[in-house]
Amino acid sequence: MAKITRRNFFKLGAVGAGMLALGNNVNASAIDSKKVKYDEEYDVVIIGSGYAALSAGITAAKKGDKVLLVEKMGRIGGNSVINGGLLAVVNSPKQKVEGVQDSIDLYMEDSMKAGRYINHPDLLKVIGKRGNDALKLVEECGAKFYDKLSHLGGHSVPRTYLAANGSGSGIVLPMFDYIEKLPNVTVKRRTKFDDFILEGDRVIGITAREKYKFDSKLKDDDFENKSGTKKYFKAKKGVILASGGFSCDTFYRTQQDPKIPADADSTNQPGATAGVLLKAFELGAVPVHVSWIQFGPWACPDEKGFGAASNFNINASFRYGISVNAKTGKRYMNELADRRTRATAMFKLVNDNKNYPINICDQVAVDKIIPDIAEKALKAGVVKKYNSIDELAAAYGIPVAELKQTIGKYNDYVKAGQDPDFGKPVDKTDGVLIAKAPFYGTKGVPKLHHTMGGLKINTKAQVISSYTKAPIPGLYAAGEITGGTHGASRLGSCSIPDCLVFGMVAGENI
Amino acid sequence: MKKVLILIYFISLISLIYANSQKEESNALSSSIKITPEIKKKYPLKHSHNKLSLDCIFCHVGQGVNPENFEAVDEDKCLFCHKSKIYLAKRLEFMDTLKANPHNSVHDGPNLYCDECHREHKPSVNMCSECHLKEIKNNIWMKDTP
Amino acid sequence: MKQIFFILILLVVGLFIGIFFSYGVYYGIHKTSSENFCVLCHEMDPMVIAYKNDPHGGKSKIGASARCVDCHLPHDSLVNYIYTKATTGVKELGIHFFGNVDGIDWQKMRESRESFVYDEGCLNCHGNIFDKKLATLSTKAQKMHNHYNKLKGTEQEVKCAFCHFEVGHTGLRNYLNYYNPEHSIYKEKMENKKEELLNEYKEYGIKTK
Repeated sequence: MAKITRRNFFKLGAVGAGMLALGNNVNASAIDSKKVKYDEEYDVVIIGSGYAALSAGITAAKKGDKVLLVEKMGRIGGNSVINGGLLAVVNSPKQKVEGVQDSIDLYMEDSMKAGRYINHPDLLKVIGKRGNDALKLVEECGAKFYDKLSHLGGHSVPRTYLAANGSGSGIVLPMFDYIEKLPNVTVKRRTKFDDFILEGDRVIGITAREKYKFDSKLKDDDFENKSGTKKYFKAKKGVILASGGFSCDTFYRTQQDPKIPADADSTNQPGATAGVLLKAFELGAVPVHVSWIQFGPWACPDEKGFGAASNFNINASFRYGISVNAKTGKRYMNELADRRTRATAMFKLVNDNKNYPINICDQVAVDKIIPDIAEKALKAGVVKKYNSIDELAAAYGIPVAELKQTIGKYNDYVKAGQDPDFGKPVDKTDGVLIAKAPFYGTKGVPKLHHTMGGLKINTKAQVISSYTKAPIPGLYAAGEITGGTHGASRLGSCSIPDCLVFGMVAGENI
Repeated sequence: MKKVLILIYFISLISLIYANSQKEESNALSSSIKITPEIKKKYPLKHSHNKLSLDCIFCHVGQGVNPENFEAVDEDKCLFCHKSKIYLAKRLEFMDTLKANPHNSVHDGPNLYCDECHREHKPSVNMCSECHLKEIKNNIWMKDTP
Repeated sequence: MKQIFFILILLVVGLFIGIFFSYGVYYGIHKTSSENFCVLCHEMDPMVIAYKNDPHGGKSKIGASARCVDCHLPHDSLVNYIYTKATTGVKELGIHFFGNVDGIDWQKMRESRESFVYDEGCLNCHGNIFDKKLATLSTKAQKMHNHYNKLKGTEQEVKCAFCHFEVGHTGLRNYLNYYNPEHSIYKEKMENKKEELLNEYKEYGIKTK
C-alpha cells in the first residue's frame, strides 16, 4: 500500500495525489472502508473460479460461511478447464492398488530438483501431506479418474491421476456443479475485481465491476477496459486471491523476462493477466520468483495455444520418440527432461532464425496412445504422417543420412536401456523404437505455460507483507497467483494439487 | 356507366391505401419503434432472425425506444426462444462423440454465455479457436458459428 | 326402350369404372402417403427414423401420428394437392433412379424447409394455437403466434417451420450425421451409432445392410 505521508504527498505533486484521491481504478491504492456503502455483504470473497477458487469456496461454504466468487471472464474455470487434468497425489489409494512405493520426501526431492532447489519446502510439504484430502474433496464433488496412474517426466514413480474425460474440466465441472447447488455461495461471472477495501490494515472487502466484458482485442485489458458497473462487496472474514498467473500479460511478462517476444504464444486463456497480482503487491505482499516463467516444450508453432499437437507430443513423440535439430538431424536434449531444461534447449534452436526442432515417432508409438489424440492432431494438420524416414527428412529439410544415423543410435540406446548422450530414461519407454512405418513428424516450439512466481504465502495460505513480514490481515491466496512452492520450474501434474490443496487450506483458515 | 367505373376506381384505391396502412402496422411486433433503413444497416440481424421479421424491442425489452441507447441483452433473451443450452446441445448430439459439442463441450459443459461465440449485430466468433485454431479453420469438427 | 337400357348400362358401367378408378387413385394416393412408402427409397431413412422419434410419428402419450403428406403437401385445394404430389413424385422418382442420392446435401436443403413444409397442414391439426386460453401455450408461444398472425399475408410472412425447425423429425440433424457426417473427422465415429439405429428401427422397413 502506498503510504501517503506529508513528505510523500509533496513529492507526488498535486496531480498524482489528486488521482489517488479520485480513486482511479488503475493507480489508486486500496479504498478506506469508512467511505464505502456496501452493495452486498459476504463472509468470504474469492477472486477467480478455477481449481483454487472452487476448492476454497467449497471448503469455506461447508463451514457455513457466506461466499462470493467473482470471475472476470464469461467462462468458468480459466486455465483450469483447458489443461490435461493431471493430478499428482502422494501415497494415494491408486498407488496402494498398483503397489507403488512413494513418500512425501521422494515427492519433494523430485520437485526440488526440477525447481532448481529454490522451492519453498514448507509449502511443498503441505501439498505432499494434504494431496489425499484434496483428492477426497474433488471425488466427493463427483470428479472421476482413469483407473491407471500415469507416470510423468521428472517423477520418480507413477503418482498422477488423470481426469476421466482427459481434461481439467473433468475436475472443475463437477466442482462447479457442486458449488452452484450450495445455498450460501454466489458466483458472479463477468465481474472484475478492481481494488481492495481496507479497515485499518485489514482487508475487509473489494470493489468490482459487474457486467464487465473482457476484450481480447485490447493490448492491455486490465488497463484499458472500462466496461461494467462498480459494486462494493464486503468480505467480513477476508478475501482469497485465486486468480491465476499472468502468461498472457504481454507487458508484465516482458518486464520479468525481456527475452520473451511480445508475440510469443501461450497455452493459457486470454484472461491470464497480472491485474490482481499487482493490486496485492500494492498492498505490500512479498513478490516471489516473479521472473521465473515456465514454457511448455511440447507445443507446435503451426497452431495457437495448447492446440492438438501438445497432447500428441507429450504422449507419443517425447515419450516414445526423439526431437531433432532440423539443420543437423541430430538430437539435442533429453526428451523427458523437466520442462525448463527442454524449453531452454529448444529455444537455442528456435532463436536461430526459427529453426524449429522436429519431433519424430513411429506407428508403434502412436498405437500406444489414445487414438483420439493422434487423429485430432493429424486432421488439424499439425502432426504429419510419412511413409519413410526419407520422406519425413525431405519434408522438413533434415539431412537424411544424419537423421537415419541418429535414429539408429537412439534405437540402440533403447535396446540397451541407457542413453549416454542426454540421459533420457529409455529403460522406461516400453522398448519402443523408431522403426515401424508410417512415421510421424511435428514442428516443436515451447509456449508460455505457467508463471512460477507470485505472492508469498505461508502454510495457512495467508499472504505475507513485505512491510510487517507478517500475514496481511484478511488476505489469503492460492494457486498460480502464489509463488515459490515449485521454485524455478514445476513438474507436470503438480499445479492442480497445489491449487486444490492451498484453496482448501485458505478455506479452512479464513 | 362512367360513374360506376369511377366509383369502382375510388373504392379500390381506398381499399389499397387501407391495405397498405394495415401492412405498415403489422411490419413490426410493436409499432412504438421506428426502424429506419439506417438503423437496419447499422445493426443488421442474423439471417434467421431477419427472416422472422423480429424488431429491436423483441430482444431489447424495457430499454426505451431509441435504438442508439440500447444495451447488449442478457442471455435469458436468447433462451426465451432457444430454450436451454442442454436443449441446444441435444440437437448437436452427434458432436458428443468427439466431446466437441459447443453447447456442452468437454471443457465448459453447458456453462458458456451465448455471446461468447454468437453475436447478433456483428459477425460471430468461435471461442474454441483460441486453442483449436487449425481444427476450426479447416472445418474439421465445426462449421462457422451462426 | 333399347336405347334407354343401353344408356342405363353405360351409366352403371361408367359408375363402376369411375368408382374403380377413383378407388384406385384413392388407394394409390393413400398407399403412397405413408412413411412405409417413403422409406422404400433408402435415402429417406434418417428422416423416417427422426419422424418415428417424434410425437408426429406416434411417439406421444396419445400415440396418434401424422402422415408424411399431412405436412409435406399443400392442403389448400385438392387439385393443388394432387398436382404437387404428382410433380414432386415424378421428380423424386427421377432423382432416385438417375440422380446421385448420396450427393444430396440434406443439411443445406433444410435451410429452405419452409418450401416443403406447408403451414395449412400444421394448422389443420393445430388450429387452436391462437387460442389464448390454451393452457399448454407459453407466453413466448403466444407472442410468436400473434406475430405469425399479424404478418400473415404480408411480404414478411413467416412460416411455422422457421421456428419449429425439427418439427416432425426430432433429432434429424443428428440422424443425418450418423448417415453422412457434416465433418470429416466424424466419418468413422458414426458407424456404431448408425448400426444402433438400424437395429432399433428395422421394424419400420429400414434395411440393415
